[in-house]
Amino acid sequence: MALTPEATVGRAPAVTPRRAPLSRRLAPYAGFSPAVVLFGGFFLAPLALIVLYSFWEVINYNVVHNWTLDNYHYFFSTPTYVKTLWDTIWVAAVTTALTLLAAFPLAYWLARYVRPAIRRPLLVLIIVPFWTSYLLRVTSWTTILGQKGVLNRFLELIGVIHQPLSFLLYDRPAVIVVLIYLYFPFAALTLYASLERFDWMQMRAAMDLGAPPRAAITRVLLPQIRPGITVSVIFVFIPVLGEYLTPQLVGGTRGVMIGNLIVNFFQGAEYTRGAAISLLIAAMIVVLLVVFRKQLDVADTYGR
Amino acid sequence: MAGEAADHVAPHKHLARGALVAWAVFIYFFLFAPIILLVLFSFNANQYGTLPITGWTLHWYHAAFNDFQIQDALKTTLSVALEVTIIATVVGTAAAFPLVRANLPFRSGIRAALTLPIMLPGLLIGVSLLTFFTGVLHLTLSNQTVVIGQAVYVTPFVILVVASRLEGFDRSLERAAADLGANSYQRLRHVVLPLIGPAIFAGALFAFTLSLDEFVITLFLIGGGNTLPIYIYTQVKFGITPEVNALATLLIAASLTITAAAFVVPGALRRVRRGRRISARPATGA
Repeated sequence: MALTPEATVGRAPAVTPRRAPLSRRLAPYAGFSPAVVLFGGFFLAPLALIVLYSFWEVINYNVVHNWTLDNYHYFFSTPTYVKTLWDTIWVAAVTTALTLLAAFPLAYWLARYVRPAIRRPLLVLIIVPFWTSYLLRVTSWTTILGQKGVLNRFLELIGVIHQPLSFLLYDRPAVIVVLIYLYFPFAALTLYASLERFDWMQMRAAMDLGAPPRAAITRVLLPQIRPGITVSVIFVFIPVLGEYLTPQLVGGTRGVMIGNLIVNFFQGAEYTRGAAISLLIAAMIVVLLVVFRKQLDVADTYGR
Repeated sequence: MAGEAADHVAPHKHLARGALVAWAVFIYFFLFAPIILLVLFSFNANQYGTLPITGWTLHWYHAAFNDFQIQDALKTTLSVALEVTIIATVVGTAAAFPLVRANLPFRSGIRAALTLPIMLPGLLIGVSLLTFFTGVLHLTLSNQTVVIGQAVYVTPFVILVVASRLEGFDRSLERAAADLGANSYQRLRHVVLPLIGPAIFAGALFAFTLSLDEFVITLFLIGGGNTLPIYIYTQVKFGITPEVNALATLLIAASLTITAAAFVVPGALRRVRRGRRISARPATGA
């Protein structure tokens, strides 16, 4: 923590007459060193290992350093795996769309019609579930959607059904419902943050000039909150791509996602094949993050 | 403006606003029903841990407290969380300083790289660390491997919390202290730490809660032991029991209490300190 910035401004190389000693120039960055050890040693190195594994092969349960593209070839030439990849992307897309559709009216209501005094507690209530155990939020859905679950009992009670519905749990719809539940807070808070900054007088002005409400929303409101929409899409889509627990607990055989596939490969000692799929997912996520880095940079996701 | 507009609101607007309110009610119901049901069933005498409610009891809490497996899991959870909190707080606070203050090329890139462990799925962190520990380092999985895995995931949160406080920090205070002859240790001890201390404390509490609830990374890196989430997971595979509901309720209560403290305590600390400083002024001011 150098307190004299002049001492550290050695970035105009040719002009500076004499450079400070190396230790002095590195001092401002010293705080990074524990993080470099932690993230370098236990985040980047393992990821690098996964990259290497994905180009090696397993012989008799041992990883052998033979360079090959077989792991990728195997994945893309097996129709079930390719289908699981597309299913995963489809589930992520549907979840994202539904989450945003559910979150937008709430964020709109909060930003436009709710008095500021009540607004704050209502925002806190949105984030509260996020601060409870992720595992428990998934498991409790099994007591709601199961054959003897709360939803079936309720529907029987009010006479809508006479036999418990079995498709509620252990299928893809259950996965999507739980995923919406898990990632709703991200979308709602991000959308709220951008709606809050919107000047509602512009809507009024548009309508005074003759725009019907629908046009005022699509031509005036939506373009201005587009960065917020992009960020919420990213914050729902990305974590869903790598979901493992939700399909595992509520998805049954038809709800399988790419995360379950990765775990199956590693548990079956097919490390290199598992590594190849892991790398595909990681690459997709990193590409999304890089493409949308500008929008993400200004985002304040944690509702400070 | 609002009052004037309210006088001649068209009926369909009332309808639209009513629909928004109804939607909001539904959403809050959707957000809280699963959590409230867990809590409700933990007091339900029904031994299958579901509807119907056959009577109210504290029996399942009693059973949970006396279950030695749960006691073991609790000890493991707390010791892991404590270690993770210490590592994440030290590493995260140290990294937040250069992140905000040093003359960094590609600052936003570095910031994004530091938050990558949050953005990548826990599954990938778990699987890659598992491969690294067993395939390269030839370590036996244990609570310590869990600590490392969780620290990778939790530390970025501490960095974000502390960095956001440092960004709002008025550096002229430090320059003033330097002008008055304070050396760098004194400036850190008497100027910087008191001002960002509450943020570090909040970061530590977040780290503790995140560790307490962490599941996916732990699942891959745990050795013979159990943390509470892992214990609950192994039980849930055989169907949810009311005892698990009681345990779940306690875990939820703990997370929410600690998180609430993380949000409330820093502000309170600042107020207390400000009060003390004002009352102390006449004594020291000669």
